[in-house]
Amino acid sequence: MTDCGCDKAKAELEEYLHRELSDEDYRDVAEHLENCADCTGEELVGITMTIKMQKACQEKAPDELRSAILAQLTEV
Amino acid sequence: MTTSVLERPRDAVLSTHPELDSSAMDDDKLTEPEQDHSEIEVELDAIDSEDIRRGATRSSLPPAELRRLFEEQAIPFMDQLYAAAMRMTRNPADAGDLVQESYAKAYAAFAQFQQGTNLKAWLYRILTNTFINGYRKNQRNPYQNTIDDLEDWQLGSAESLTQGRSTRSAEAEAIDHLPDSDVKEALQSIPEDFRLAVYLADVEGFAYQEIADIMKTPVGTVMSRLHRGRRLLRGLLADYARERGFAAAEPASPRSTT
Repeated sequence: MTDCGCDKAKAELEEYLHRELSDEDYRDVAEHLENCADCTGEELVGITMTIKMQKACQEKAPDELRSAILAQLTEV
Repeated sequence: MTTSVLERPRDAVLSTHPELDSSAMDDDKLTEPEQDHSEIEVELDAIDSEDIRRGATRSSLPPAELRRLFEEQAIPFMDQLYAAAMRMTRNPADAGDLVQESYAKAYAAFAQFQQGTNLKAWLYRILTNTFINGYRKNQRNPYQNTIDDLEDWQLGSAESLTQGRSTRSAEAEAIDHLPDSDVKEALQSIPEDFRLAVYLADVEGFAYQEIADIMKTPVGTVMSRLHRGRRLLRGLLADYARERGFAAAEPASPRSTT
């Protein structure tokens, strides 16, 4: 049992979500999350925010911009 | 092109002749003559320092082949770079100019790009440098300089102490129901350095170290900006959800004053 407790899990949740923890810390937090509904709720909010941002920021470059940039390359 | 020193490893040359660093642009015709020269040097310096660290040499590929590679490898990032530029400049006209200028610089410096290394991070570094050195100067807000020094309590806390687990899943659900326009508006309203860190981490999936290289800040600063940015964002999203009548949490946080 390596459950690290809420304090560590909450403190490291952002790094957990962004895959920036060492393997050992990652396992500790993951294990805690399995057993703690409260921290799992925090995790869910964090993941939801990330997914929403990814979906919201799917813009396409306007065609005129694309043409202008491609034209730039031929000028050289 | 006839080059002498340029074909020697750049790190070796530049360690003894740092003044040669600006030579990167010499044989490229894309340089816009009206551009401020010192600015170009600053930006190319930023580009080059990464390449020097990797011991990059100039590519000896013929121009036509370089152009083909550029079209094949760099151009496909245009939508992503444009989306990032939209978050930076907050309007389509400036975003378009920023992307176009960044591509011009990237193309001019493409011979120094080390094939096989992270092109996306390289392009984002150029985009970010171009934004910070050019566009941001014009819209700089004195507030930006001190934002990293603000205490957490001044930014407000998104996580209410009284919030229980059931309200957390309700909060996630409420956030999930928000329209894209709300999410973008929330992103636009957090301080720029926070916004960039959040964007690069969450939307682009860059590692902290890559973000540190792109923003030229220590990893600790990246973490702090990311954490604070996400906390501010969470508070704003909760506010928007409440305004739309989604059954989110109870009043979670005092909205930070921006």
